Amino acid sequence: MATTVIMPKLGLTMTEGTIERWLKEEGDRVEKGEPLLEILTEKINFQYESPASGILRKILHREGEVVPVAAPIAIIAEEGEILPEIETLKPEGVVEMKTPVPPATPAKGEEIPRRIFVSPIARKMAREKGIDLGSLHGSGPGGRIIKADVLAALERAALEERKPTVAAPTAPSKRIPLKGIRKVIAARMTESFRDIPHFYLSREVRMSALQAVREKLREEAEKRSKVRLTMTDLLVKAVASVLRQHPLMNSRIEGAEICLLEEINVGVAIALEEGLIVPVIRHADRKSVVEIASSLRDLTERAREGKLSLDDVGGGTFTLSNMGMLGIDKFSAIINPPECSILGVGRTVEKPVVEAGEIQIRPMAWFTLSADHRIVDGAGAALFLNDVVRTIENPEFLLL
Amino acid sequence: MAERVISCSAAIAEALAEEMERDERVFILGEDLVAHGGIFGQFRGLPERFPGRVIDTPISETCIVGAGLGAALTGMRPLIDMHFADFVTCAMDEIVNQAAKIRYMFGGQTKVPLVIWAPDGAGLSAAAHHSQSLESWFTHAPGLKVVVPSEPADVKGLLKAAIRDDDPVVFFQHKKLFAREGPVPEGEYLIPLGQGAIKRQGRDVTLLAYGSGFFWAMEAADELCRTGIEAEVIDLRTLKPLDFDTIARSVKKTNRAVVIHEACLSGGFGAEVVARINTELFDYLDAPPLRVAAKDVPMPFSPPLERFVLPHVGDVVEAARKVTYR
Amino acid sequence: MGLLIDEALCLRMYELMLTIRAFEEKAIELFEHNLIRGNIHPCIGQEAVSVGSCSALRQDDYMVNTHRGHGNCIAKGADLRRMMAELLGKSTGYCKGKGGSMHIADFEGGNLGANGIVGAGLPIAVGAGMSIQNRGTDQVVACFFGDGATNQGTFHESLNLAALWKLPVIFICENNLYALSTPLREAVSVSRIADRALAYGIPGVSVDGMDVLAVYEEARKAVERARAGKGPTLLDCITYRFFGHFTGDPGRGATYRSKQEMEKWLERCPIKGFRNRLFEEKVLNDETEERISNRVKNVIEEAVRFGRESPFPSPNEAVEDLFF
Repeated sequence: MATTVIMPKLGLTMTEGTIERWLKEEGDRVEKGEPLLEILTEKINFQYESPASGILRKILHREGEVVPVAAPIAIIAEEGEILPEIETLKPEGVVEMKTPVPPATPAKGEEIPRRIFVSPIARKMAREKGIDLGSLHGSGPGGRIIKADVLAALERAALEERKPTVAAPTAPSKRIPLKGIRKVIAARMTESFRDIPHFYLSREVRMSALQAVREKLREEAEKRSKVRLTMTDLLVKAVASVLRQHPLMNSRIEGAEICLLEEINVGVAIALEEGLIVPVIRHADRKSVVEIASSLRDLTERAREGKLSLDDVGGGTFTLSNMGMLGIDKFSAIINPPECSILGVGRTVEKPVVEAGEIQIRPMAWFTLSADHRIVDGAGAALFLNDVVRTIENPEFLLL
Repeated sequence: MAERVISCSAAIAEALAEEMERDERVFILGEDLVAHGGIFGQFRGLPERFPGRVIDTPISETCIVGAGLGAALTGMRPLIDMHFADFVTCAMDEIVNQAAKIRYMFGGQTKVPLVIWAPDGAGLSAAAHHSQSLESWFTHAPGLKVVVPSEPADVKGLLKAAIRDDDPVVFFQHKKLFAREGPVPEGEYLIPLGQGAIKRQGRDVTLLAYGSGFFWAMEAADELCRTGIEAEVIDLRTLKPLDFDTIARSVKKTNRAVVIHEACLSGGFGAEVVARINTELFDYLDAPPLRVAAKDVPMPFSPPLERFVLPHVGDVVEAARKVTYR
Repeated sequence: MGLLIDEALCLRMYELMLTIRAFEEKAIELFEHNLIRGNIHPCIGQEAVSVGSCSALRQDDYMVNTHRGHGNCIAKGADLRRMMAELLGKSTGYCKGKGGSMHIADFEGGNLGANGIVGAGLPIAVGAGMSIQNRGTDQVVACFFGDGATNQGTFHESLNLAALWKLPVIFICENNLYALSTPLREAVSVSRIADRALAYGIPGVSVDGMDVLAVYEEARKAVERARAGKGPTLLDCITYRFFGHFTGDPGRGATYRSKQEMEKWLERCPIKGFRNRLFEEKVLNDETEERISNRVKNVIEEAVRFGRESPFPSPNEAVEDLFF
């Protein structure tokens, strides 16, 4: 009995997946449960297991293709078995979802000319000023491009011109396709930067107390749990505990509502060669520092090996990004949607600071909080950041 | 010099008196001029001041206009009072086939210094035979000049100019404007035919109007100004020959035009203006030019129906908003 | 001197004249109260011409009317309620409020409508005459017009044509001696309008327009001629309007008519005259007079009530009765 392999739905919001790599070829024997192909989703690269045993008789979509969820991608059957017609294939139990039909998709190579409606004066102005009408959005009736639209475009262009001129780009020496994880990051960061009104608050933090705590705990952690304790682990703990007191910072926007989240799941940004990945430490507020450390070590290793699951990267409510080890003093991170905020931590540097009128040398680090202005205002974010700083400068608060 | 304020009626009487004084060839022919001084009192005092030169006639429009024409061809400069513009229909041949064509048809051998003067317009429940605006019929007869002033000063200046013009001029004056007052310069005050006037400056939309339409345009401009739309109002004054240069300069500036007249929409003079704007100013348009006019029905008697049929200030405001996309 | 016609007809004519007079007076009152808009042209003083002529007509005979035509409408049998509603601009009027005072028509009653253009009705009457001739019926057309119209081209063309084709048209001139402010002698080239008939080879009769029986007599003869296929007649009914040309005429026409002249004519009031005659002939007495007066009063009151209570037309009616 032939089995149609479909593009599986791997997450709540997944609507399509990219076939990253077939792990079996047409004609190969597969066993049920055996990894069959790699699928790239919004979040991660996923190894999908074969739903049946048999011969991989037909691969319907190739590597690199983007396929909608529930669409057939392969057929597994026995040798000699008659294969079902592709058109009649309809995965069972899947409700046909009506996807919005884009305006007439032209056949490959054929171009359907798009009729642009323009008022005569707008056309004249655009022609005289060298503005491409196709790049304009018409605000008149029926999408008519009117004088106001051309004037607006001219204004935008004028603003562009005032920016420092960029040297004309020279021919590239190498082209790297935006695909895989890079493509996902590109899309998500663009979305975040475009749709979320970011604002940034910075504090320079005395790290001495936390450093002392880590020193004290390091040996014990090693002894008890065989786990290496890092500053990041402590930061995660500190941030998670403060989030419990500032629920608005642990929220996300859904439609027209701000949803305060019950779980505090702190994601930690990890830089891999192929790109940024953010594994999540679930219930970070409820975990001990050692548990956090243990999780984070494990996640980091699996990330490096490309073995993260969806659960590992999903459900985050706050992100921590520590670029100290990369030598960065201070930076403003881009919020990881759909979260409300992200904390960027720079490197700790011995610096002269004034204490009680005297200059002292202290280890200082810049903490920059990026927050979503739709959800929280400057004051609210400041209160949160101040509490984080206080907790870091007074780690004993974590015992409360 | 402070301008005195007088009514259109007074301005007409003044213009006529001055022209009759200046040129003895000028005389007036029409019905009920002497006893009544004209049905709107516009000829008051003239029969006494110029005996024999304000002549009452029987109700014979055909012959009145024809006779006026005959006198114009042989050295005189008559002004014919049509009583009500609606009665021009009784003299169409005289106006359109004779007066309009004689100069051209006879190879320029003669001038036709005839003024046909007619009160027109609706809004007084005078019903279908006494409420029409027929100026577009005459703009369609080559050889006729057509004048439709609105303010008293324009009435005086244009009437004097019309009387001195050597071509036949059809001169309409809205009935409701007789009593309307306005500043009128004293003495020799002439407005050349074929010259429109920008009576309100603006940069967002051009309102082209004449006759009663002019006042709606001005009121609409006030209302639009309150919402940030600056309308430029041009009083066309003469329809034929049309001052298209003034129209063009304005539309090139504002990129939008609305034509306003009381005459009904289809085939109204607004159609001619819009056609020319589309042809000659196409590249300057940000929106199609619109017309505000009466509905295409004979003027009904009942007041609510008449109100519904006639255009209003609100219609002008709405049209201006449409073309400015606000 | 006995009456040559029966009493019942006399009483009917008397009542009709009273009705016309009362209607016009009421219309003037309503106009002064700004309930009737535009303008009205009362025919007070000319009742005998209307009633005398129309009493000689049948219901299926046609009538062409003028702007001063309320009397002719009433004499031809119009429903006063619908007339008053029309004057008030209501949708229940004869013309649904679209015509007003100057343009009342009642096609069912043979009234082909009143015209605002002087002289424009004559050619239409000629056309109706042609249609009668064509259809072979014995209907006639009563064509009303004023003295002013006899100077219009249409008058001459119409008389010529009606005479030529022997059309059954009675041309009735309501000669009130003035075309608005222009007196007859300053507008008409002959001393009697009736004489204009000569130019067209048809009978022309001058009638005392203040004497309803005289008008009736001549009208009857003209109608008989027409029905018999003998062609048109011109009736020159000399009368006088006691009111001005229209309700805006200062001093009721005093700017162009002398006080003596007006007073002289007022004494010749056709209603007063006929009433006296009827009393003389004992056709009318105080009792019947009062009964008739009350009936007239009621009918007018009812017409006013109906008109005032009727609704104005709704705006969408403005675009009805026309193709688009």
